Amino acid sequence: MSKQLQFKSVSKMPEIAVSMGLMEWNRTGAWRTQRPFYEDKTPPCSAACPVGNDIVSFIQKIAQKDFEGAWTILKEENPFPGICGRVCFHPCESKCNRGSFDEPIAIHALERFVADFIAAQHKKIEQRVEKGRERIAIVGSGPAGLSCAYHLAKLHYPVTVFESFSQPGGMLRLGIPSYRLPRDVLDREILNIEALGVEIRRGCTLGENLKLDDLKEYQALFIAIGAGRSRSLQIPGEKGKGIRNGLDLLKKINVRKRVNLGEKIAIIGGGNTAIDVARSVIRLGKKATLLYRRSREEMPAFEEEILEALEEGVKMRYLVNPIHIHQKDGLKRLECLRMELGEKDESGRRRPVPIPDSNFFIEVENIIIAAGEEIEFSSLPRGIERKEGIVLTRRDGSTGIKGVFAGGDLASNQRTVAHAIGSGKKAAMAIDCHFKGGNSEEAIRQVLIGEGPSLTIFRYLHPDERPMDSHIVTFEELNTDYFEPSKRQRESKSSVKERKKGLEEVTSTLGETAALEEAGRCFSCGTCNGCENCYVFCPDASILKEGDVLSRRVNYDFCKGCGICFTECPRGAITLEEEAR
Amino acid sequence: MKRVITGNQAVAYGVILSRVEVISAYPITPQTTIVEELSELIASGRLNTRFLKVESEHSAMAALVGASTGGARTFTATSSHGLAYMHEMLHWASGARLPIVLVNVNRALGPPWNIWSDQSDSLSQRDTGWIQLYCENNQEVLDTILQAYRIAETVRLPVMIVLDAFVLSHTSEPVEVPGMEEVDPFLPPYCPDYPMDTQEPRSYSVIATPEHFFEFRYKIQRAMEEVPGVAKKVDDEFRARFGRGYGAIERYGKEEAEVLLMTSGTVTSTSRIVVKKLMEKGLSVAGIKIKRFRPFPSEEIFEAIKGAKKLAVIDRNLSAGVGGIFTQELRASLYSREERPPVFGFISGLGGRDITPELIEEAVQYTLDHHRPEEEILWLGLKR
Repeated sequence: MSKQLQFKSVSKMPEIAVSMGLMEWNRTGAWRTQRPFYEDKTPPCSAACPVGNDIVSFIQKIAQKDFEGAWTILKEENPFPGICGRVCFHPCESKCNRGSFDEPIAIHALERFVADFIAAQHKKIEQRVEKGRERIAIVGSGPAGLSCAYHLAKLHYPVTVFESFSQPGGMLRLGIPSYRLPRDVLDREILNIEALGVEIRRGCTLGENLKLDDLKEYQALFIAIGAGRSRSLQIPGEKGKGIRNGLDLLKKINVRKRVNLGEKIAIIGGGNTAIDVARSVIRLGKKATLLYRRSREEMPAFEEEILEALEEGVKMRYLVNPIHIHQKDGLKRLECLRMELGEKDESGRRRPVPIPDSNFFIEVENIIIAAGEEIEFSSLPRGIERKEGIVLTRRDGSTGIKGVFAGGDLASNQRTVAHAIGSGKKAAMAIDCHFKGGNSEEAIRQVLIGEGPSLTIFRYLHPDERPMDSHIVTFEELNTDYFEPSKRQRESKSSVKERKKGLEEVTSTLGETAALEEAGRCFSCGTCNGCENCYVFCPDASILKEGDVLSRRVNYDFCKGCGICFTECPRGAITLEEEAR
Repeated sequence: MKRVITGNQAVAYGVILSRVEVISAYPITPQTTIVEELSELIASGRLNTRFLKVESEHSAMAALVGASTGGARTFTATSSHGLAYMHEMLHWASGARLPIVLVNVNRALGPPWNIWSDQSDSLSQRDTGWIQLYCENNQEVLDTILQAYRIAETVRLPVMIVLDAFVLSHTSEPVEVPGMEEVDPFLPPYCPDYPMDTQEPRSYSVIATPEHFFEFRYKIQRAMEEVPGVAKKVDDEFRARFGRGYGAIERYGKEEAEVLLMTSGTVTSTSRIVVKKLMEKGLSVAGIKIKRFRPFPSEEIFEAIKGAKKLAVIDRNLSAGVGGIFTQELRASLYSREERPPVFGFISGLGGRDITPELIEEAVQYTLDHHRPEEEILWLGLKR
């Protein structure tokens, strides 16, 4: 403390009551009872992303107009941004905190924008040459297999992928119609993986021309052959003429093979395959009626696809259960029962219960059965365990057999592209741990996003970069005073008339202006984006900058711990903690 | 360039031309369109000024205290209850010697609820240490803002500019709007005496014990005493540049008049007509417009009233228990003088009732007819 001032006359006094000396001696930080510090927390979008994308970071890059930076971040976790931006069911958006404010961020549209923007730049993908000693075989070149191959290649392993079809992609190519996923997008993203040195051997079917013995020379095996067998309805007449299974039909249409179909077609099922079949059939100029035994509410297909199918003229008949297929003069007479919803079953959906004597007939020329897919176990290694119709794996994707891992639809009932990509990535990490003698379960625990199950391989590779607390930021923790309501940017869609003409893509990529606008809407939950609210509000000038940039450091010599920075941070990126006494 | 604009728009033009850096406001009728105009200009990017939305007038002034301490030229506008709510921070602004300029649109305080012109809001802030300037027309409003920053930044005291609700705020008149290039040389940027610098941190508005507080108040009084000289210099320079000047007061009418009528605000415009008419009738009448209320222009008034027999004051305000506030101020300043003609204190037009030419004529006639006022308060236009 300096001595008390004593002015002898008014003329010697300052004009205002200001300290005569500088106040640096007064370390007000000593008064502090609570300490603010910068700590990024988990945004709900990333925690909900089965792929484990660092969504906030890539959107921040878009907002800064650094599209290449956004691409780099996306590619850390996902070899398929162009694919996911189109076909993912984007659970990230359902969890987006902005959804509680006005409308969620169109994350899928931004991911797609980045992928297409970079593709349009004709960027050369870097080639990897250095290779490790252990070789890995991957069976199946669907999203799981290729994701695993991509991450292993980035970890410098030589990888060989075996694909039974003449072209790689698995369900991406055979199951997803090109009006949702154009083939050039699929091809370019697969080419990027091959450019890393991944070898894809076409026409190798496990159990046929590819034997398990052939894979002995590989030190690890990742099996991701998917669920390719259509589930049967177990009703009489099912094997008759003109009755086909949905997946086979889709495959034919998707690889542009000729299909012979009548005019009126009934599709049985309520999942994504059923919808894809119905929409494809409509594009072939046919009439499609979809029969589903529960109601619209319980339909497992993605909502957006159901809406688009309805737009395109697919008829939906709910609470209808086929029980018998009769043949009559080349027509199929489908005998059905009307259903009503009963109590909830183990899936949480209301169980359909037949209404007695409600039998009625539907006459069509073809019936397509799309009642779900099953695993074909016969070709799998002996000794592989199964449970509830899928291959049983441990948390790290390993099976009971040493060095054999499994993923994708084969090992999961969550059969989405995103889940498959996530499982491939997880297996890549586990295989790396397997070779390095590490504890893969523990390694996975370290890289979970939030509480999991999503995980980040970026953190596995760079444990000290972009640290993030596992706490998932809630809407209530945001300071929404700093956000203005704004409209979600929507991708445009071609007219129904246009759509029915062929298999052209329905939605188009956001323009740059719309993408920037949409990126600007992101709350950046839990992640400091340098908005400088803390800097502006700190009454003690204790938020430090480095040059013009927020340093994310607090000057504790003077910080009184008032907590204004913590309160005014719009996105919960500052933590306030009681000081230890 | 001449434009037909309302008083509120004239305020906005004055603020733009003064290159104000920080505006903070909470909207209140009838000043609302001032901040509307300004915020729209800022939102459109045409005005490079920081606009702070705040949750109250108290905060509006508090925010300007911060901004002005930081070295910014600052502005706010308010009215009536808004000004009353600012009261504590008005003291702070003057105590910290900050050259903030505030426009108050004169309006009554409720209840009963009333949104019309009345001086009781600004005169309630008489003792807050603010310079107060009252305007007669929209041109004067604009010009006074430009002058106010010069005065405020010279003597380091805040200025309140006052205009009548609706009569000026919402009424359009032709106003000469000078160009930026004309105003810039007249009004250089503000440089604070004690600039804030995070590299050299100081403590502002610290405690002053009885040992020193007294002297700080003495300094404010001395600053107020500088105002007449500074304001005259600024007004003279303004007149030289723009061809218009206002003075602290303005005397009009007969040279050596028996009765002098004192008014402030727009009532003066009506009075000019009445005085002219009565002079033509041969009556010995003149008028005085009081523009500056704080510091009270005693010296200027003594000069102007020399030889007058009687003084009539029309107050559009009431300090209940005493009477009109301009009347009281005038009586108090005359007390120490040898020559102290009787002061006739009229109160009229409270809560926005029109002060018509007939009422003004009635006041002058009463003053001419009486040797001394029969009552302390002479009610003009009251429904008895």
